[in-house]
Amino acid sequence: MKIRDIMMDGLFRQNPTLKLVLGVCSTLALTTSAFDSFGMGIAVTFVLVCSNVIVSLLRNVIPDKVRIPAFVLVIATFVTIVQLFLRKYVNALYASFGVFLPLIVVNCIILGRAEGFASKNKVGFAALDGLFMGLGYTWAMVLIGGIREILGYGTFFGIKLWDFTIDFFASQAGAFFTYGIVIALFVLVWNAIERSQKLKKASANDAPVVEEQKEEN
Amino acid sequence: MSSLIYSSSPHVRCSLTTKKIMLAVAIALLPACIAGCIFFGWSALLVLALSTVTAVASEFVYLLIAKKPIDYILKQFDYTSVVTGLLIGMNLTANCPWYVPVLASIFAIVCVKMIFGGTGKNLVNPAIAGRIFAFISFGATFGGSWLAPNVDAINASTIVTGATPLSGSILAGDLSAISVVDLLLGTGVSGVIGETCKLALIAGGIFLVVIGVINFRWPLVYVATTGLVAVALNGFDFNVFLPSILSGGLMLGAIFMATDYVTSPNTKLGNYIYFVACGVLTAVLRHATQIEMVSFVILIMNLFVPLIDKYIVRRPFGYTRPQKQQKEGK
Repeated sequence: MKIRDIMMDGLFRQNPTLKLVLGVCSTLALTTSAFDSFGMGIAVTFVLVCSNVIVSLLRNVIPDKVRIPAFVLVIATFVTIVQLFLRKYVNALYASFGVFLPLIVVNCIILGRAEGFASKNKVGFAALDGLFMGLGYTWAMVLIGGIREILGYGTFFGIKLWDFTIDFFASQAGAFFTYGIVIALFVLVWNAIERSQKLKKASANDAPVVEEQKEEN
Repeated sequence: MSSLIYSSSPHVRCSLTTKKIMLAVAIALLPACIAGCIFFGWSALLVLALSTVTAVASEFVYLLIAKKPIDYILKQFDYTSVVTGLLIGMNLTANCPWYVPVLASIFAIVCVKMIFGGTGKNLVNPAIAGRIFAFISFGATFGGSWLAPNVDAINASTIVTGATPLSGSILAGDLSAISVVDLLLGTGVSGVIGETCKLALIAGGIFLVVIGVINFRWPLVYVATTGLVAVALNGFDFNVFLPSILSGGLMLGAIFMATDYVTSPNTKLGNYIYFVACGVLTAVLRHATQIEMVSFVILIMNLFVPLIDKYIVRRPFGYTRPQKQQKEGK
């Protein structure tokens, strides 16, 4: 049951991009195309899984007072690995990521999961948490990047769809705009799903229906 | 005693409702619209109609999706979307493709006005946001080629595209290219539909001032500041004054867009700050970038309005400032 919880948390319930609104900097900067978003998502997922595993293994060794520098050191190691790997094998992605690749070190999602989850849980759960958080980040990035690429450039994953473009979505203002709209729609849909599940559960148990206050509107 | 009504302020009411004010603004915009249609032909009328119809329709559709009852929707309709749609149409070139006014109107009404709660709750002027959306999104079809007006409507070959007088010659310092009278009347001036005939815009502005919708002071402050700063930036050459205030979208922005009730400050001092800052920014940014900046300036200043309103508040009636006490023992 806990694995299911970890999965739902990472993908939807605590989706780092759409629910926790973490790592906004890279989300806004790199969602100009679906492919860049996907690459960034995979890079972050890799770093998340590896750093979560190491932090979880070292959780009883690292002194409490210096835990943040220690986490950053672990994260920075894996970011450097990703950086060197991309530079050698996927130079196009390396070029389009620019400064945002080394900035994964200070991405709040990774530090947040190390601090909030990996340093308190066993290795297996920490690895799963890193995987699903990373996948949650990836699908949100690809969604935003896809919308912006289709509307802003008329392409999807580099494949030309039509000539019609709205340059607004390719600009920085369009990044904020699309991000906000996607968050609003996600929260709307997610709240509707949660409410219907609650109603179903309540009617199954024959208990009186108590509607909870909506978290966000 | 029972006939007395207890209520909170405001106690003084007048017949000037939002509906009537917005209808008056729409009427005041008509001369400039008609002038634009005469200068640019049927395509201008098509653009204006498309943007207005889309603006009204998108407001209705949004309210229907939000599950408001029909009679509420009809009752709350107050012509603001008509004004927004007209202004967006007036801010587009006559030769733009059909989707530009449609998308700009949808963006202005849905994303700028209705999402924030409808009339009176929007953070920035919807028409300005719609214009800038169109400007950023379709810059290639927007800024590159301005349709020159069709002065003698019979000969279609007179329609040429080129730079507006402002971006073409005035900002480059060439004042002889176009006469002030032409700028005032809009004859032979290229640009967007609603901005070329300044006389029609001023006539609409005077109409609004006479029936008390806007205060004559604010457009004057804005326009005069822009002109004077432009004069100062050009080495105190007073020949620049009239061309710089009569070209571009300054009149349209100053009379109809910056004076929007929702997005301008509440107090007199606040309004002075707002309009002087608008004027200074317009002149300085025009000088620095060599393109028309009125809409961007109004958008920027709209965002400052909550700040101005926070720090500049009306002095309550009968309030006297407490005397500063001299520190003793110095």
